Amino acid sequence: MKGLALKISPAAETQKIITVAVAGNPNAGKSTLINAIAGTRLQVGNWPGVTVEKKEAVFDFGGRKIKLVDLPGTYSLSPYTEEERIARDYLIHENPDLIINVIDATNLERNLYLTMQLLELGIPVVAALNIYDEAENKGYRINTQAIEKFLGARVVPTVATKKRGLEELLAAVVAVGDNPQAHQPRALHYGEDIEAAAQEVEQEIKKLPALADRYPSRWLALKLMEGDRQVLQELHLGGNEAFSGKAVRHLRQAHGEDVEALMADARYGQAAGLTQEILKKTEKQRIEITERIDRVVLNRFFGIPIFLAAMWLVFKLTFDVSSPFADWMDKSINGPFKRWAEALLTLISAPDWLVSLATDGVIAGVGFVIVFIPVIFAMMFFITLLEASGYMARAAFVMDRAMHAMGLHGKSFIPLLLGFGCNVPAIYATRTLENPRDKALTALLVPLMSCGARLPVYVVFVGVFFAAYSGTVIWSLYVLGLVLAVLMGILFKKTIFRGEYPMFIMELPPYRLPGMRSLLIHTWEKGKHFLIKAGTYIFAVSVLTWFLLNLPWGVENKRDSYLGQAGAVVAPALQPLGFGNWEAAASLITGVIAKEIVVGTMGEIYTPKAKEERKEDGPTLGQDLKEMGFSFLAAGKEAFLNVFASFGSAKFSTEEKEKTRPLKMMIQNKFTPLSAYAFMAFVLLYMPCMVVAVAFRHEFGSWKWFGVALAYGTALAWLVSFTIFQGGKFLGLGG
Amino acid sequence: MNLAKLRPGETGKITKIGAVGPLKRRLMDMGVLVGEEVRVEKVAPLGDPIEITVKNYKLSLRKSEAEGIAVEVRP
Repeated sequence: MKGLALKISPAAETQKIITVAVAGNPNAGKSTLINAIAGTRLQVGNWPGVTVEKKEAVFDFGGRKIKLVDLPGTYSLSPYTEEERIARDYLIHENPDLIINVIDATNLERNLYLTMQLLELGIPVVAALNIYDEAENKGYRINTQAIEKFLGARVVPTVATKKRGLEELLAAVVAVGDNPQAHQPRALHYGEDIEAAAQEVEQEIKKLPALADRYPSRWLALKLMEGDRQVLQELHLGGNEAFSGKAVRHLRQAHGEDVEALMADARYGQAAGLTQEILKKTEKQRIEITERIDRVVLNRFFGIPIFLAAMWLVFKLTFDVSSPFADWMDKSINGPFKRWAEALLTLISAPDWLVSLATDGVIAGVGFVIVFIPVIFAMMFFITLLEASGYMARAAFVMDRAMHAMGLHGKSFIPLLLGFGCNVPAIYATRTLENPRDKALTALLVPLMSCGARLPVYVVFVGVFFAAYSGTVIWSLYVLGLVLAVLMGILFKKTIFRGEYPMFIMELPPYRLPGMRSLLIHTWEKGKHFLIKAGTYIFAVSVLTWFLLNLPWGVENKRDSYLGQAGAVVAPALQPLGFGNWEAAASLITGVIAKEIVVGTMGEIYTPKAKEERKEDGPTLGQDLKEMGFSFLAAGKEAFLNVFASFGSAKFSTEEKEKTRPLKMMIQNKFTPLSAYAFMAFVLLYMPCMVVAVAFRHEFGSWKWFGVALAYGTALAWLVSFTIFQGGKFLGLGG
Repeated sequence: MNLAKLRPGETGKITKIGAVGPLKRRLMDMGVLVGEEVRVEKVAPLGDPIEITVKNYKLSLRKSEAEGIAVEVRP
């Protein structure tokens, strides 16, 4: 195995494309391998009808055109998760020319179990014995020729993280793709009784072209015999009697009732036999590094503190590293960029409404999308790092007991934690949960985590009414969200998700140092995806909001704008909560864009300022660009320093800003301490912001779960605020 | 005796898998088969789930899932 540089030429003349499905167990290094081969040529999309990512790449190699299709990691062709179902469906119904089976060379037996199932499909297989260096370091000697002979498939050792063996792998793909007939996989012999039954069932299948054309016949015969749920469901069969009745009865007589277990034994038997034959372990009696780390990380006493410290670090790094860049983008777009667009439009004497639409609608909308980029990128980076390193599984292991109590999975902790920074990356982070039920339930609870955008609202109100105990009052709102999350989790578990008990059968993969290149490619793909998919929606909603705020055009009093009118309509519903005025209602409506805007809108409504005259001499374009450059560097420096400052304490400033003083005076007149607290609770709980809505739509592929979140959030907000206000009044806390 | 009752460090041979449906299927796909030797490695800090070694790799499962797996304790 040599460390050859990959020479992939760009696409050339038309020719037959070799379609290659890349399949393998989770944690076998499949993504790293694909990234190493195809890199930025990977096209990321979605599998039809679902939100699981589909990665494909077309490129030329050795004069052939190769199309790689990355399948989600899978342990078995009898699917359990949605991702596994996708992998299985593709292999069975899309007829790839061949399969690259990525095998973790340090964990042969279980990986080969999938290989056995792939061979049943009758599609030529090329096996990549990945992570080969680690296997060698463990003292494993693997006889690859013996595997080739046994499987009837090409076997190539690879080290994807170091790009070793990839050239040979692709050469094998071309050789097999050119002459598939010569590389048909060996039909493995599962023992006389099984084979006899399988042949019988296969004959039955071949009589029905509708079946024989749709499925590989031997594979279908075996699946029917074991009563595979997915197959029975697809064929609308209640049981496997119709096709395999006699054959299965015979098997049962000979081997007992459980044909499913018999088949699993047969496949694992082959995998175990092969492993024994090809693998020589030179006994190195040493405690493996994974074991050493786990002794500390999963320790009875240190496990949870270490987990909490790791999570705190991830949280701080995600938000502290990204926020200076987000601020920079925000300032650049809303500062120089807007100013110059405005100047340009004025120059061509565009009407006022157009200038406003372009700057406050369009550019601000673009700005909204862009400020999320740093945090999304940072979150994707750290989540990928946690997953690729192997710690994510440990985190789930440590937290599962606590999370399970409220119907969640151990992995739910991370999205919920990220929710305290921003709910948007938190919704995206639910993708780490494989089971759709766990994922949906976690996402539903994310909006209860009080995000950073709600803090400015609290700060203003707390500054007015509770200055003496600002910390405690703000803290109480965070706790309120958490307590409600626990209650709602239990409620959802017993209602919407009643009767579903997802399992927690999870591999704890060895710790591995993830390849930086692969990490960055992964992060980039996710970020790009967000930009395109979510960006479009967010942009549209921002422009729509501009219309609401500014129409009918030329309204003097905000009360008369569509927004003000809407506020007046909603206000009576808020009366029992203690803030039934149109100003508060209108502010809450705009808070749907982003919750911190609540304060901004109040500022605009309560303290209308005279339309300021445009300054005569603003900075020149050159000055602006220079300033943007400098501030970008400053943002980089701040991000860097924040990494270290993360070890210090969080700053929590409720300092009085000069410009918010008039607003605070107005708030003091309009609210009482009690109604202010009810208002803050309402801001915490009522509908999640529109970017969260878009994230829900993007991540789940439909509006369904957002609809649920919206409905229960609004109901909960009203009930809780009502209880606080009316209960407070009853207790004589003043109304 | 079932797998959930083994203490860390103890090894057992699986004699029966009592689970049904998808849970049983998944356990078998992960190599948890009758006749297989499993060793309990750790119990999570909060007492659940547990970590076992099976087929030379590490697997975690909840105690409720391990209860259905009957084992014969090995010395």
